[in-house]
Amino acid sequence: MPSLLVIIPLLAVLLLNLPLNFLRRLALPAAVLFAVYQALFAMQLLPASCTACPTHERWFVNVLDPLTSVLLLAIAVVAFASVFVLHATASDEKHGFNAFNLIFLAVAGMNGLVMVRDLFSMYIFLEIASVASFILIAAQRDMGGLEGAFKYLVMSALATMMMLASIALLLAYCGSTSFMVVAEALHAHGSHGYLLTAVGLFLGGLLIKSGIMPFHGWLPDAYAAAPAAASTLIAGIVTKTTGVYALIRLVLHVFGPSVAVQQLLLIFGAISVVAGALAALGQSDMKRMLAYSSISQVGYIVMGLGVAGAANKFAAELGVAGAIFHLFNHAIFKTLLFVNAAAVEKQAGTRDMNQLGGLAQKMPITGLTSLLAMFATAGVPPLAGFWSKLLIIAALWLAGYHGYALLGIGASLLTLAYFLSLQRRVFFGLLRAGCENVREAGWALTVPSLVLAAILLGVGVALPWLIGSFLLPVKGF
Amino acid sequence: MLLVVAVPVLGAILLPLVGRFCTCTRNTLALLMVLASLAGSLMLIGPVMSGQVIHLDFPTGFGHMMLLADRLAVFMALVSSLVGGIIVFYSWGYISHYENQNEYYFLVVLFLGAMMGLVFAANLLVLYIFWEITAIASWRLIGFFRSPAIVLRADKSFLVTFFGATMMLLGFIMVREQAGSWDLPTIKAALVGHPLTNMAVAFILLGILSKSATLPLQTWLPDAGVAPSPVTALLHAAVLVKIGVYAYARLFVVNMPMPEIWHTIVPAIAATSALVAAGAALLETDLKRLIAFSTISQIGFIFLGLSVGGELALAGGLLYILMHGVAKGGLFLCAGIIEQNTHCKDITKLGGLIKTMPVTAIAFLICTFSVIGIPPLGGFFSKYMVIAGAAQGPHLWIVLTFVGTAFLTIIYLMRVFVLVFMGEPKTKLEPEGSPVMVWSVALLALLSIAGGLLIYYPSLFATEATRQILGLIP
Repeated sequence: MPSLLVIIPLLAVLLLNLPLNFLRRLALPAAVLFAVYQALFAMQLLPASCTACPTHERWFVNVLDPLTSVLLLAIAVVAFASVFVLHATASDEKHGFNAFNLIFLAVAGMNGLVMVRDLFSMYIFLEIASVASFILIAAQRDMGGLEGAFKYLVMSALATMMMLASIALLLAYCGSTSFMVVAEALHAHGSHGYLLTAVGLFLGGLLIKSGIMPFHGWLPDAYAAAPAAASTLIAGIVTKTTGVYALIRLVLHVFGPSVAVQQLLLIFGAISVVAGALAALGQSDMKRMLAYSSISQVGYIVMGLGVAGAANKFAAELGVAGAIFHLFNHAIFKTLLFVNAAAVEKQAGTRDMNQLGGLAQKMPITGLTSLLAMFATAGVPPLAGFWSKLLIIAALWLAGYHGYALLGIGASLLTLAYFLSLQRRVFFGLLRAGCENVREAGWALTVPSLVLAAILLGVGVALPWLIGSFLLPVKGF
Repeated sequence: MLLVVAVPVLGAILLPLVGRFCTCTRNTLALLMVLASLAGSLMLIGPVMSGQVIHLDFPTGFGHMMLLADRLAVFMALVSSLVGGIIVFYSWGYISHYENQNEYYFLVVLFLGAMMGLVFAANLLVLYIFWEITAIASWRLIGFFRSPAIVLRADKSFLVTFFGATMMLLGFIMVREQAGSWDLPTIKAALVGHPLTNMAVAFILLGILSKSATLPLQTWLPDAGVAPSPVTALLHAAVLVKIGVYAYARLFVVNMPMPEIWHTIVPAIAATSALVAAGAALLETDLKRLIAFSTISQIGFIFLGLSVGGELALAGGLLYILMHGVAKGGLFLCAGIIEQNTHCKDITKLGGLIKTMPVTAIAFLICTFSVIGIPPLGGFFSKYMVIAGAAQGPHLWIVLTFVGTAFLTIIYLMRVFVLVFMGEPKTKLEPEGSPVMVWSVALLALLSIAGGLLIYYPSLFATEATRQILGLIP
C-alpha cells in the first residue's frame, strides 16, 4: 500500500521519541530497514507500473506511474546512504538522534510529494521536506550552517510564495487543484492571461527550488555548509524531488510542454549546464565543487525535459526518458560523491583540495568509488550516467536543437575537466605531506559507497537489456 | 570470438586479487590472458580466410548488439595481441621495481581486452564504449608515476581524446538519424547510394584524429611520453593510435560511404600531419618525444593508404599497421632500456652505447631500418605499397609530400642512432638491460626481419582483407 511509505516514517518518529532510552539505539536499524523496504516496494512496482499504463492519460488514474516508482527508489537509496553517513559523522548522540528524526520527516515529505496528484497536497509535502532540510543544515549551529540555512530559507520562501499564489489563482479559475482538473482547464483555455500568469509563477518557483542558474545563489552555500549527512540527503535527493521532480511532473502532466515552456527550459537548462560546469572548475572546496556540478547536471535534466513537446514524437520520448533516468543517476552518483567527501573530510580533516593529495593510496575504496561516480557524471561509458546523457543529447539532436546538443556534449568535456582536477588534487598523484596518517574510512562510510558504486556499474552494464523492456518507454532506440 | 574479448576484459579484474598473494602468478596470468586473445584470433584465421563472416548477436534495446569478425578485424586483432603480448612480457622486467604493479597489469590487460572488443565491434555504441575504456586505461597508465606534472599530462591526453570521442558520439547520433540504426551492417545497407552528410563525417573524423594523434589534435601524444616505456610502446606506438586508423577503415572504408570531397581532404590532413611531425622530430632532443613525433608522422602514411582509395594502397595501409606496430614498439622498448639504465632521455647527452648494449643497439637499428623502409625489412613493403598505390591516384603533390617525409624519416632516425649508440661515450656506460627486456626487443627486431622475408603471408592476408572490404569477393 503506497500510503504506508508516508505513514511509517511519521510513526517511526513518534515511536523513537517515546521516553525509553533503548529506542534511540534502534534509530539506525529502523531507518535502514525502512529504506530497504521502500526500495523493494518501488522495484517491484517498476515493471508493473510500466506495462499497466503505456499512455499518459492512464497515468492519472493509477496512483503509481514509472516516474513515481523511480523517484521512490532513488529516495530509498539516498536515505539509506545518508543514515549511514549520519551514523559515522554525528558529533554527539543528541545531535545524531535529532538528525535521524529529521531525515525520517524529510523522507515522509518526499514520499508524499512524489505520490500525490494534487497541487495543494504537493505543496504541503514539499514544505515538509524543505523545512526538515532547513533544520538539518542549521543543526550544528555554526556560522556557516546558519548562513546556508538562512539563504536556503529565504529563497525557498520566495519560491513558496510564488507557488502558493499560483495555486490560489488556479483554484479560483478551475475550482479544484487536482492535476486532472487543472490540466483540462489549461488545455481548454491555455492562452488566457490569467492562467499564463499562474503557470509562469509556479514554474519560476520550481526553478528556484531546483537551483537552476541564475536562481542558484543559495545552493552552493547550503550544500557546503551543511553537516555531512544533511548535505548527502539534500544534494542527493531533497532538491531533486522538491524542485526537479515537481518540474517534470507538472510540465508533463499539468501545464503541458508548450512551445514557450520548452524554450524556457532549454535556455535555463543550457545556462545551468555550462555556467555550473565553469564555476565548478574554479572551486577548491570539495563540496562546493560538487554543488556546482549538481547545478550543471540538473541543467541536463531540464534540457531533456525541454524536448518533451517536440514535433518528433520519438525525440520527445527519448528526452523525457533521458531526463528521468538522469534524475535517478544523478541521485546515485551525487550521493556517492557526497558520501566520499564526508569520508575525506572525516579522515583527512579538511575538504580543501589544495591541502590534499594522493589519498587513493590510503583510502582505496573511497578513491575507486569516487572515480566511478565522476566518470558516471561526465558520461563515460559503460557507467549509468553515459546512457542518460546519450538519451538526452540524442533527443536534443533528433528534435532539431543542434546547437543545444553540441552545447550539452561540450559541457560534458568541462565536467570531465573539473573532475580530473579533483582527482588530481585529492586522490591521484603523490601522497601529500601531512596526509601520511590518513586511513580508510570505517564501514559506515564504505558500505554505502560500495552499494552506490555497484548500482552505477550494474545499471550501466545491464542497461542495453533493460532499456527496451522496462524502466523507460523507449523502444528500439 | 566472444572469448577473445571476454578473457582479457573480465580476467583483468582478477589480476589485482591474484597479485595480492603472488606477483609471479599474476605476471604469468596477465601474459596468458593476452596470449589467449592471440590464440583465439589465430583460430579465427581459418574461417575468415575461407570467406566466412562470423557474428554474434545479442538482441538489446540498441539494436542487435553484435560482435563481428571479418578479415579486417582478425588482421587487426592479430597485430594488437601479438605486439601486446610482447609488451606484457617486457613489462615483467621493466615494471618489477615500481609500486602499484597490480594496477599496472590490471590496466594493461583491460586495455588490450577493450582493444579486442573495439576491433570486433559491429555496433556504433559498442565501439564507443570500448573506445572510452581504452581512454580510461591509458589515462591511468600515463599518470602511472603520479607526480603532479605527470598527472597533469595524463589529464591532458584524456581530455583531448575525450573531446574527440564526444564529438564522434555526436557524429554517431547523426548517423543514427540518417540510417536509422546503430548496427553497422544495417547502416551499410541503408547508406548504399546515399553518402553520409558532411557534418557527420567531420564530427566522426575529429574523434578518429584525436585518437590517432593526427594534426590538429596531436599534442597529447608527445606529452604522454612520461608514462612507463612499455606503456608508451603499447599505447602510443603499437596499439592505441592504431585505434583511430582502424576505426577509419571500419567506418568509412567498409561501412559508410563518404562524400567525394573527403577523399581529398583526408589525404591532405595526413600529408600535413606527416610533414609537420617529421619536422618536429628533427628538432626534438628527448628520445621518447622524438619517437612519438615519428609515430605521428608515420600514422599519416597509414591514413594516406586507407583514404586514397584503390586496392594496392589499402592493402599497403593495413600492412603498414602491422609493420609499424612491430618496429615502433621495438623502438620504444629500446628507448625504455636506455632510459632505465642511463637515467637520461636527452639524445645529445648520450653516446657510444653500442659498446655495452650491443643487442639493444642492433635491435634499435633493425627497427629503425624497418620504419625508414629499407628492403628487405617489413616496413619497406608497406611503405612501397602505400606510396605506389597513392601515385595511381590524382593527387601528385600529396604523394610528393610523402616522399619528402620519407626522406626526413631517414634523417631524424639515423641522427638518433648515431647520437645515442655511436661516437664517444658521454655518460658512464651502463650494462645491457635485464634479459626479459632484451629478449623482447630482439624478438620485435626479428619479427621486423621476418615480416620482410616472409612478406608473402601478411601481404596475402592484407590483400584478401582488402578484396573483402572493396566487395570484390563475397
